[in-house]
Amino acid sequence: MTSRYSQLPSSRRTNRPGIAQGVFVLLAWLCPWATFILAQPLPDPHTGSFAQLVRDLQPKLVKIYGAGGYIGVTDWCSGVLVSPDGLILTVYSPTLDTENLRVHLYDGTRHECDLVAAEPLLDVALLRIRDGDKKFRELPLEYFDLNQPTPKVQVGDWVLAFSNCFQIATREEPLTVQRSVIAAITTLAARRGIHELPYQGTVYILDGITNNPGSHGGAVVTRRGELIGLIGKEVRNTLTETWVNYAIPIEALKDFVAKARAGNYKPLERKKPVIEDRGGFLGIVLVPNLLDRTPPYIDEVLPDSPAEKAGLRPDDLIVMVRLPARDGSGTYEEHVVHSVRHWRDLTLPLEPGAKIQVIVRRQQQLLRMDLEVVRRPGFRLNKPATDKAADQQ
Amino acid sequence: MGKRAGFTSLIMSRWSSTLLALLSPVAIAISSALDPIVLQDENQRVAVIDKLTPSVVAVFDRNGRGGGSGVLIDEEGYALTNFHVVQPTGPTPRCGLSDGQLYDAVVVGLDPVGDVALIKLIPPKPGFKFPYAPLGDSDTVRAGDWSIAAGNPFLLATDFRPTVTFGLVSGVRRYQYPAGTILEYTDCIQIDTSINPGNSGGPLFNLRGEVIGINGRGSFEKRGRINSGVGYAISINQIKNFLGHLRGGLLVDHATLGAVARTGEDGRAYVFDILERSDAYRRGLRTDDRIVSVNDRPIGNANQLQNVLGIFPRGWRIPVVYERVDKEENRIVRKEILVRLMGLIPRELPEDRKPEKPEEPKPGEKPAPGKPIPIKSRKPMKPEGEGAKYYVPRPGFANYYFNELERKRVLAALPRPQDMTADKVWVLQGEVELYDELTGKPVQHPFKLELDGKKVLMKLGPIDYQTEPLRVGEPIGNLRQPPGSGGLLVALHYWRLLLTDQDKGFEQGLHYGGYEPFYPDGTSKSRILTEVLNGTSGPFTVKFFTRPQEKRVCGLECYIEEDADPCELIFTAANGPKPDLPGKVEVRFGDRRWGTLHLRKVELVQPEAESEKR
Repeated sequence: MTSRYSQLPSSRRTNRPGIAQGVFVLLAWLCPWATFILAQPLPDPHTGSFAQLVRDLQPKLVKIYGAGGYIGVTDWCSGVLVSPDGLILTVYSPTLDTENLRVHLYDGTRHECDLVAAEPLLDVALLRIRDGDKKFRELPLEYFDLNQPTPKVQVGDWVLAFSNCFQIATREEPLTVQRSVIAAITTLAARRGIHELPYQGTVYILDGITNNPGSHGGAVVTRRGELIGLIGKEVRNTLTETWVNYAIPIEALKDFVAKARAGNYKPLERKKPVIEDRGGFLGIVLVPNLLDRTPPYIDEVLPDSPAEKAGLRPDDLIVMVRLPARDGSGTYEEHVVHSVRHWRDLTLPLEPGAKIQVIVRRQQQLLRMDLEVVRRPGFRLNKPATDKAADQQ
Repeated sequence: MGKRAGFTSLIMSRWSSTLLALLSPVAIAISSALDPIVLQDENQRVAVIDKLTPSVVAVFDRNGRGGGSGVLIDEEGYALTNFHVVQPTGPTPRCGLSDGQLYDAVVVGLDPVGDVALIKLIPPKPGFKFPYAPLGDSDTVRAGDWSIAAGNPFLLATDFRPTVTFGLVSGVRRYQYPAGTILEYTDCIQIDTSINPGNSGGPLFNLRGEVIGINGRGSFEKRGRINSGVGYAISINQIKNFLGHLRGGLLVDHATLGAVARTGEDGRAYVFDILERSDAYRRGLRTDDRIVSVNDRPIGNANQLQNVLGIFPRGWRIPVVYERVDKEENRIVRKEILVRLMGLIPRELPEDRKPEKPEEPKPGEKPAPGKPIPIKSRKPMKPEGEGAKYYVPRPGFANYYFNELERKRVLAALPRPQDMTADKVWVLQGEVELYDELTGKPVQHPFKLELDGKKVLMKLGPIDYQTEPLRVGEPIGNLRQPPGSGGLLVALHYWRLLLTDQDKGFEQGLHYGGYEPFYPDGTSKSRILTEVLNGTSGPFTVKFFTRPQEKRVCGLECYIEEDADPCELIFTAANGPKPDLPGKVEVRFGDRRWGTLHLRKVELVQPEAESEKR
């Protein structure tokens, strides 16, 4: 079946109600023919078969084998050749996280390869077949030329997707081909496993079931065999829990490939969340928390700390604490302190500058001490507070 | 909710006329803008679907609770489906056609390994002709071709009209590992054409409306047992190899070489291990030999070897080309051998397997898409309805009724010389050309053969040979006579029995064995397709290769011992003394020609006269 459905939008655009019908018909009649003459559709005009195209594209596609192999993480994926010297573009995934990366080419040969560059934010990676391989040098490699302009596609266009889904093919066996229609061009709100997908750019949503295990890195091409996208990972929509079949537009990856190829690719700067040190410091070290309700005896008072300044001493038992209310109303609340753990829970949220009052029992008397929480000395950024650090308040 | 819907529809009706008025010129423009080829394609597609629809079968169990799909392949009502579809339906499923009628049916033949079953719909009245779909050539199917799947997914159709889906062939010659113990999809067609539970057993068509496969499986992982864009159809060319077996009511088995191959460093298949009792071993295949091609299909890696072998029935003899490094001469020797393939299922299994009894679910079985909607009851199902009249259970057979039917058809077509009755002694005379093993040159001797249905006497030049095949304690040396022939006397004895007594000559039965290739001159080029009769008598098994349409027996293989080479006879008509008897009989054993008998004179003598004469 010759499927020239992509011509439909062009004719639709040219026609607006209100113009004489004869003009429409003429225009509508001409447009498809113009497209037809400019770009000869590839399927066999007699059978509509894409067999020739499918065969012609196989040399540009590779099967990649790497790390993984346990449930949910495949140890294989798909890729496309983008240079005659063996550069392979694929989707960045844990599969590539190994020294022992191998590809199988269309002719059945196996080659070791290396990761040239990866960009987790684009979800893409570039591999290179190792030069030391003699067999490789003799091969005339076919590839998708990314220097060529990528055709613009629109919603409703037909595409073909090539991948090694379910690892159906090994060695010289050809990759799976599926047909799809671009159902939407949009951004993706999806998740993979429990992680949000890092790629935030535009994607092609496909109506076929193209994203299967190991499909990632496969090629999405037009009916004329032009590469327009890379098949993405297996992801699920966060809202509906349905699986999403999507591809990353090749246009979005060209800059990465060009720079990575030249060897001067610098990973995109990820906006790292700045963790501000808002933890407070009192300088009280309590006895080790050994029991269910260890009495909150002070074991040590750190030098130059608010505790020392207030006059707290080892062997004081913390009885009560008066601290700012958690609702932020500016009022104070009082708590009887039951245990080491309880003290920790109460004082952990305290920020520098907060003023608290502690009542301790020292021998036969109760003493009231005022402390001001200060910034923790020697705090390291991004390192979560350990139990010990917490105790050191 | 109801209110909201009402509101929507109100808006629709209020605006729809305006909308229509606005859109109508566009609509006209679009329809006229459609390339005539698109319309033509669409019309063709509709025509093909109209044509194939009547052939599609909805298969149900007798209670209509579970089932799958199928396709009629001839006007008598033979239809193909999956083994796993009829497994739960029992021997007499019910079948719905697109005419809305429900037909009784009976299971004819089963291929548990290949997941194929042949069933027969019972015509409602004599002379009734079923609509059917022609079989295509799946070897011409390529990845990227379009395909049409038809069937009854989710058992949706209450009027039995099939659901039709359209999609691309994603790959060909795919291999799918056995699901569970034996079920294996070899050389299958991978499609993105949507198939779902209930599509099992349904046909995959090309755009000419020819059956190119039987849908039955898919790749799934975490998305449940529904279409994942990766379905598999058993290629119709594989099924054609088994079609004779299936029509003959057999429980068929697939082939293995009797050797295990591994993929070497260069990506080619090398023999890693080989059974010494296999025919491949006797033909000369050894470990480290590289398998170059099987049945003219080039073999790449070891997977492909398994893939190619799986499309053949057990017992088929097919050409295998192998390469071996001759270390002394320092060169690579390439050789073609004709190998009789071994079975996958251990031989004892069919004996105690009751075909009407559904098998236990296999542990770890990969879910098939087309797994029929399961039926709760697992007790053996009794044949019911019209189909029960055509069902004869017998161990080792799917349905013995059809084996008898086919055997009778073949036997009726074979020559049966009227005067050469069982009570007479056949005295055959002529010359034999013996091939000298060293010189390879033929040496001529006169021969005289006497066959009385019990014993065989052969005077070969100056030497007499005699054997009585079924006598208790007959030495194996006698059975193998004359030396080097592998058992010519016994072979001739059973040849006579076939012509005089037909199936009665084989006290353990003569069964129809489906289609098998036969090589009259011992090379792959001479291959013809024959229909086979397998006879068992005493310790001997005899395989007759026949061409019923030409009313002749082409040859036979007589196995004196299990797992040893048979004595092969190849019959040629060439100017015999009697029109119904071959004039020339070539005798082969192992890899060599032993000799050729030229029949000059046939005498029929009464037994008494014979004994007096002696």
